[in-house]
Amino acid sequence: MNPAVWQDALREVTGVTGVIGALIISADDGLVVAETAMEGLATADVAALAAALVTRAVRCNAAMQVAIPSSLHLVATAGALLAVAGPSPLWMVAVAGPDAELGRLRLLLRDFAGVLR
Amino acid sequence: MSDVIEPSAPASRGLAFLELGERLRQRGQFAAAATVALAGLGHYPALADAYDLLARIRADQGDDGAATNAWHAALECEATHVGARKGLAFVAFRARDFIAAERQLELAAMNAPHDPSVAAALDRVRSVQPAAMPDALPHFTDPASGMLLYDMQGMRLAGGADDAGEGTGDALAAEGAGLSREAARAARLLGLGTVRHLVIEAPDARVAMLPVSADAALLLQRGAGMPLGRLLALATRGAQAAADWLERIG
Repeated sequence: MNPAVWQDALREVTGVTGVIGALIISADDGLVVAETAMEGLATADVAALAAALVTRAVRCNAAMQVAIPSSLHLVATAGALLAVAGPSPLWMVAVAGPDAELGRLRLLLRDFAGVLR
Repeated sequence: MSDVIEPSAPASRGLAFLELGERLRQRGQFAAAATVALAGLGHYPALADAYDLLARIRADQGDDGAATNAWHAALECEATHVGARKGLAFVAFRARDFIAAERQLELAAMNAPHDPSVAAALDRVRSVQPAAMPDALPHFTDPASGMLLYDMQGMRLAGGADDAGEGTGDALAAEGAGLSREAARAARLLGLGTVRHLVIEAPDARVAMLPVSADAALLLQRGAGMPLGRLLALATRGAQAAADWLERIG
């Protein structure tokens, strides 16, 4: 565990155009482990909802007889939530507005999820 | 058989009849090979490799219907049987149904991601598709299409996860409805608006979930090698077709 590295990673993620917050969460209990977010983003809610989505996705993949998820992208009309698995049970999560560069954000999250140790 | 996507003989599991049947098949003695395979199946009625052998014999005899039935029987015995997937891909390829061939090979690749023969066959199938084919969509009501339409009560409306059977599709519909509800809840509570799509990436698969209406959603499952943009383009077309279908039957 290296919180300084985590914070650097979160800051870089929030530097992507359109990103309004980045968190490291524990998917087991839906709690925030580390965060960097703009004011107004309810990071505790993000953590709980992202963890619930991860749980649902794991069950879906089990029903499909495929491996457990490594990432989730929820894209909606006014924004998106992206989550990438780190070492269990940690996930790196980003919340972005509708104008975010989702392709770049996805790759960045994937790179940084690897440093969550 | 064609050498384009040749169904391969499985590594022997030590059963003499499999080796004998395979040797007879390779010599072109199909009737004798079939007799051996059927006799073996009499002793081992749940052995996927025996059905696979019988299917390859039938395919060599030009009886694609019987071959398809035997490969489906192999999958019922062993859902991850790569030879059966390759065989079904071969039959589809021979019928010039390139989408189905690709789909079967993608399923084979999910079970054998490091099998070079599967990867080569997949490349081959993709390379011979006409230019317009990458956007072609198998019908979503086909249980083997990898598309599943379900309602928000978790009931399967059409399609399936693969051709593993109705039970798998029903179980996935139940889980898919939970996933759809959770995605809608997260989007609403976080002020993200209405869900456009949810993509799940896994080491061996990519899945897209798109709402089709207020009461229904579509899941599209493909191999991990499919680019995300193409997955979403296919899913969007599938969702549109599903919406039209629901309107017709509604």
